[in-house]
Amino acid sequence: MIPTIMKISLINLSRDKVAFMMTFVLPVIFFSIFAMIFGATDTGARDNKIKVIVADREQTEVSRRFIATLKKQKVLDVAAATDESAARKQVHDGKFPVAVVILQGFSGEFGNFGSTRESVELLYDAANPIAQNAVGGLLQAAAMMAAPDILIEKGFSSMESLGAGLTPQQHRALETVKPYMRGDAASPGGRDAAEGMLRIRATDVRAGESPPEQHSMIAYYAAGIGVMFLLFSMAGAGGAFLDETESGTLERLLTTNATMSQVLIAKWLFLLLAGLMQVTLMFLWATFAFHLELFTPARLSGFAAMAVTTAAGAAAFGLVLAAACKTRAQLGGVSTIVILIMSALGGSMVPRFIMPKFMNTTALFTFNGWALDGFLKVFWYGESTATVAQTLTSLLPQLAVLSALAAVFLAVARVLARRWETV
Amino acid sequence: METVLSVTNAVKTFGGNKALDNVGIALRKGEWLGLLGPNGAGKTTLIRAIAGRVALDSGTITKTEMPGIVPQEIALYPKLTAAENLRCFGQLMNLRGRLLQERVDWALEFTGLADRAGDLVVTFSGGMKRRLNIACSVLHRPSVVLLDEPTVGVDPQSRQRIWEMLDRLRNEGASLLLTTHQLDEAQQICDRIVVIDHGRVIADGTLDELVRDTIGPGRRVWLTLESGGSIEGHIRDIAADLSALLGRAASTGAAIVDVRVESPTLQAVFIHLTGRELRD
Repeated sequence: MIPTIMKISLINLSRDKVAFMMTFVLPVIFFSIFAMIFGATDTGARDNKIKVIVADREQTEVSRRFIATLKKQKVLDVAAATDESAARKQVHDGKFPVAVVILQGFSGEFGNFGSTRESVELLYDAANPIAQNAVGGLLQAAAMMAAPDILIEKGFSSMESLGAGLTPQQHRALETVKPYMRGDAASPGGRDAAEGMLRIRATDVRAGESPPEQHSMIAYYAAGIGVMFLLFSMAGAGGAFLDETESGTLERLLTTNATMSQVLIAKWLFLLLAGLMQVTLMFLWATFAFHLELFTPARLSGFAAMAVTTAAGAAAFGLVLAAACKTRAQLGGVSTIVILIMSALGGSMVPRFIMPKFMNTTALFTFNGWALDGFLKVFWYGESTATVAQTLTSLLPQLAVLSALAAVFLAVARVLARRWETV
Repeated sequence: METVLSVTNAVKTFGGNKALDNVGIALRKGEWLGLLGPNGAGKTTLIRAIAGRVALDSGTITKTEMPGIVPQEIALYPKLTAAENLRCFGQLMNLRGRLLQERVDWALEFTGLADRAGDLVVTFSGGMKRRLNIACSVLHRPSVVLLDEPTVGVDPQSRQRIWEMLDRLRNEGASLLLTTHQLDEAQQICDRIVVIDHGRVIADGTLDELVRDTIGPGRRVWLTLESGGSIEGHIRDIAADLSALLGRAASTGAAIVDVRVESPTLQAVFIHLTGRELRD
C-alpha cells in the first residue's frame, strides 16, 4: 500500500517539470548564487575583490611604493583617482565603496610610530561597513610591506635619538640589509606587526547629510524588497489572465466588441496602477516609519519616474509570464523560480556592493538590477541638493532600459496571446 | 422564411483532422434549431466559427449581426455580483446609461435573480449561474442566439427554468441555435434538427422527417402477459396493426395485462445515424 502511494507521488513529481525544478534545481541554484556572493568558492574568492580608488596628494617615492603595494593586495581592486574630490565623488556616487587619500606629509609620518598626525584618509560610505573595515586593516598591512627599508631606517634613527648612535660598522650592516628589505618585504609576520602603524582618518562621505548610513540601507531595502514583491504580485495578478482563460470569460470577452490587444492593454494598465500603488505604499511607509527622505522635489520626481517605469515593466513582465504559461499552477512555479533568481542576482536580497564583479555585471541582465540602480540613484547616491533635472537626467539609462523592457515584454505577451485568439 | 444565419461549405482542419467538412446549415427567423452530434463531432467548432472565434479554411458564414453567444462554460466573474457581471458585459456590448440599466433590470427579472442582484456569483448554485450565463449573452437583444449546451450540469428544475427562458427569447423574436446532449428535450423544443458527425451534416429536418428518413414511422410494442411473459413486436401503422397484434395474442389464449407502445424517438434516430461506438 505505502509503496504504491509513494510511487504515485514519485510519478506525479517526475512529470511536473516545475515542481521538479523547485524541488531539486532551485535550491542548488540559490545555494550557488549565495556561495559566489560570499566567496565560498574559488571563483568567488578570485572575483570578490573590494574596489578601492586611491588619490595621492603627496606624489613621493614612498607614497607611490605604498600604492604599488596596495595594488598587490589580492583582495583589493585598486584604481587611481585624479584628485581627492574625484575620489570622494566616486564613493558618494556608489562607484567605489571606499577611497584612500594619501595626505601631504605621508612620507614624513611613514614609520613614525609615535606620530599623532594622520597620513592617510579613508573615505567611505557608512552603509558599507564591510569594505570600510577591511580596507582599513589592509592599509596597515600594506604600509608594513611597502617600505620596510624606510621603517628600519626610521626605527634606528629613533633609537639613535633616544640612546647611543650606531657604530660605523652597524651603519654599514644597516645599509647592506635595506636593499633586501625593499626587494623582499612580504614577510609572513608583517601584517600583525603593521597593526596601528599608519594613522588613518576615516571620513564618511555623507557626513552632514541627515542620518546617512541609516537612510542608505533603508533606501536599499525599500527598493530591493519593493521590486521583488512587485514582481511577485504582478506575476500573481497576471495569472488572472489564465483564470479567465480557464473560466471562459476571456472567450466571452473576445466575442464582444473587445479585441485581444484591448484586453491586454487593459490588463497591463490595471497592473501598472496596482504596482505603482504598491511601490508608493512601500516608500511612503519607509518615509513615515523609517524617516527615508522622500519629500524633496528631486527625490519625489525621481521616485515618480522610477516607480512608474518599474511598475510598467513589472506589469508587462507579469503578463508575459502568464501568457507563456498554460495553467495557474505552472505560472506559480515558474514565476517563483524566475523572480527569486532575478532577485538574488539583481541585489534584492543581498546588497550588490558585496557581490563579486562578475555578479554585478550579471545583475545588469535582471529587471531587479536596473530597477534597484534607479531607486538607489534617487535615494542613496543622489545629492539631497540635486535639482529635478539633474536627478531625472541621471536616471535616463535606468528609465530607458526599464521602458524598453516593458515594451519588449508587452510585445512578447501580445505574440504569445495569439494562442487565445481566433484559430 | 427569412434566413438569419447561414453557413455554406464550411471547412476547418486542426492538425490534419477535419473538424468541419463541407458543413452547411441555415437558421430561419424565429426558428429553434437543434445542432446534435456525438462528442468531437464538430458542434462547438461550428458555433465558434459562427461567433468569429474560429477562422474557416474555406466556406462562408452569413449573418445579419453579431449573435448572442452563450458558452458552455460558466463564463462569469465569480467575485462580481450578478448585477456587476451584467453591467460589465452590457458595457462590452456597447450598452450605456439608461438603456444599460433597463437591460440589467430586465435580465435580473428574466433570470429570476432580482433578489440576488447584489450577491457575489461565487455564492450562486449551478442553476443560477447557468441562468445568469445566458442573460449576460442576450443583454443586447440579439436576433440570433447561439447556445452551446446551456443546460449541462443543472438539476431538472433549473433546466426547466432555462428552457422557459429560452422559449421567452424566441417569443420575443429571437432565432436560436443550440447544441445539446439532452435529446429528449431537443425533441420537444426544437423546430428542426441538424445532426453532425465527423464534421459533416448527416441529417437535417424536423423530427418527423428524420424519423421517416431513418428508422421509419413504425412503433415498437410490448405486450405483458398475465403469465409473467411478454411479447414484443413492431408495427408500421398503429391504427391498423395494433388491433391485429392484440387479436393474434388473444387468439393464443394469453391474457394481456399491459400494452406499451414506443413512439420513434430522437434518441433512436440519433443512434441510428451515429452508431453505438463510444466517441471519447
